[in-house]
Amino acid sequence: MNRRDFLQSASAAAIASSTIARAATPAVKPVRLGVIGAGSRGQEDLRQFLHVPGVSVEAICDIYPPRYEQVNHLAGKEVPHTTDYNELLARNDIDAVLIASPVGCHAEHVIAAARSGRPIYGEKALGFTVEDNHNILEAVTKNKVLFQIGHEYRYAAWAQEAVRRVHAGDIGTPTHIYAYWHRNGNWRRSVPSPDPDGKLEHLLNWRLYRETSGGLSTELGSHHIDMANWVFGEQPESIIGTNSICIYHDGRTVGDNVQAVFSYSGGRRLVFSSITDNAKVGCEFWIYGTAGCVEITIEDATIYYEKKKSSDAPSADKAVSKTVVERGVTTGASYSTAGEMPYRGPGEKIVTASSEDPTLAAVRSFTEAVRGEHAIFADVHCGFRAAIACSVAHDAVFAEIKMPIPAAKL
Amino acid sequence: MGTEFTLYLYSGDASAAASASEEVFEEIDRVEQLLSNYRDSSELSRINQNAGTAPVTTDPEMLNFLAQSERWSRASDGAFDITVGRLMKAYGFFKHEGRVPSDAELGELRAVTGWQKVELDPAARTVHFAVPGVELDPGGIGKGFAVDAAVRILRADHISAAMLSAGSSTVYALGAPPHQAGWRIVVPGPLPSKDTLSVITLRDTSLSSADCSQKNFTLGGHFYCHIMDPRTMRPVEGRVQVSIVDPSATASDALSNVIFVETPEHSVATLKAYAPEARALIVSGDAEHARCTAFRWGEPVDSAHCVLH
Repeated sequence: MNRRDFLQSASAAAIASSTIARAATPAVKPVRLGVIGAGSRGQEDLRQFLHVPGVSVEAICDIYPPRYEQVNHLAGKEVPHTTDYNELLARNDIDAVLIASPVGCHAEHVIAAARSGRPIYGEKALGFTVEDNHNILEAVTKNKVLFQIGHEYRYAAWAQEAVRRVHAGDIGTPTHIYAYWHRNGNWRRSVPSPDPDGKLEHLLNWRLYRETSGGLSTELGSHHIDMANWVFGEQPESIIGTNSICIYHDGRTVGDNVQAVFSYSGGRRLVFSSITDNAKVGCEFWIYGTAGCVEITIEDATIYYEKKKSSDAPSADKAVSKTVVERGVTTGASYSTAGEMPYRGPGEKIVTASSEDPTLAAVRSFTEAVRGEHAIFADVHCGFRAAIACSVAHDAVFAEIKMPIPAAKL
Repeated sequence: MGTEFTLYLYSGDASAAASASEEVFEEIDRVEQLLSNYRDSSELSRINQNAGTAPVTTDPEMLNFLAQSERWSRASDGAFDITVGRLMKAYGFFKHEGRVPSDAELGELRAVTGWQKVELDPAARTVHFAVPGVELDPGGIGKGFAVDAAVRILRADHISAAMLSAGSSTVYALGAPPHQAGWRIVVPGPLPSKDTLSVITLRDTSLSSADCSQKNFTLGGHFYCHIMDPRTMRPVEGRVQVSIVDPSATASDALSNVIFVETPEHSVATLKAYAPEARALIVSGDAEHARCTAFRWGEPVDSAHCVLH
């Protein structure tokens, strides 16, 4: 018996014998997806989409044939495929489009999908170049299509609660954000050989080459830039940065490490660091405010309160001050380093009702929006404000001079 | 899954080997995110949290995992059962602590344990628990499932000789090292004392083992093993270790639990009926008075220290 037969017979056995609870799930409007770009991220998005009731995948577009079988396995059925996204968009059985092609293709694919009138879940970054970003924003707006950007951490319960508390003033005024995405690995995907002319290398490892990739500051930094925009309520005005290749001298033309400072109004800063030869810090997003700080990671958030040093408000009438005056102060001997190191201690973990995978939360929210249940939260403007900073950063980290970040034209 | 995965592979190209191994570990991480009951955000945890209330829509891979689990429960009449989540926590195995639940507690746990309480609807892609409070624990089959997924990656990357070990309790032998008939696997025992019970050479197949050496506790002078008989709700007694070969690592992982729980006679009957390609070595009794049952094993066994039945 080969494995496929076994699996099919296992499923058949399950149907035949177990009590099936039908009609317990209320009927939902089906949402049939078309996927443009079914690589690793596209497949992860699709996997989560399949956790939302009533969602199915009806067709994919990809120019790399091994994706077809991978998607069939993921979807549990044969999914029609094409190498031509126009052919996919011309189908009459697609309600919404997931676009997860390499960032250099986003403009072409998103604009075509917008012109077809379908709601779009577009992976980050919105577009590759400054011009791409302006064009995508214009097309989505003019065609009045629903668009959600793949900044899934906006949907993470712990991030939402953390940002809510920051906006409520729990850490005072937030002024600086230090965002890290540190890993230990060469970022390469396996490339089958032979690969004459390096075509497969450039197709599968598009992230490593400057013509097709904004490097670490786009691929990883776009999440952090978006979260900083969320906290500060605006996009950055300029960026100054640097990059280099320290370890991976393997022909790549983007850096294997990046450091960038993004300037916001009022002197506020986002400092972004990404290195690929040490994983100690991992993915950490620190919001520093005048009264404390919040650390957000890809799985949780923790808040730290800084002790107030002094109060300017007169307090002679307050009960505690009166007690001191009437009873005096008791002497003692103590020495504390808490003045210089006020943060010792574990901090307060932000507890939320849900620890749901943020990608699942994001695609579920998109599906609900497609069904007309609510508006889109991480919309095209949100995508623009992060991606425009990334597209300037592409060049800024090579030029190593301060470069302005343009605002949207609309 | 709290397991260290080790990969050995042969390749003509160092950078192809590095890329392939990175993909293998990424795939293992992905399956961990699907199945881990230690992560609140995993798909399995989401099912545990919600399927007692209403059917949960899930993806074909998870359904496949649940269907395979159900298959082995049915084949073994419940000797294998992933609904033991609450039971494992009650005995403290979830957090490496160790306590013996009272009879009253076990009675309550009986109400939320049992593979028939998991209802799968492949057409709707849903899973539902007939009773709220059921908790799935993938420990008896998850490593094998991850290994099978990783081997798919190795084959797609055209790696022709590799060995993947999931904490050494499930290993997959892909192809063979150059000039060898297969990968050499040493089955130690009878545990905990002896070095070698049997040596087997494997090619394009998996081997899973189960024993009590890693997870156990002793209370009141009594030794408790982490491998449960879900039907009695108590740890298995009288079995020292088992090893089983099957082309599917998912199957060999699940079956290693089946043949640890069942008597050797029942195990042989189950394998004959449901696992036509399986080969097994079952050690019962205790380390000093070990009895070995070999089923299609095909290799010499140290019968001086394990009497063959």
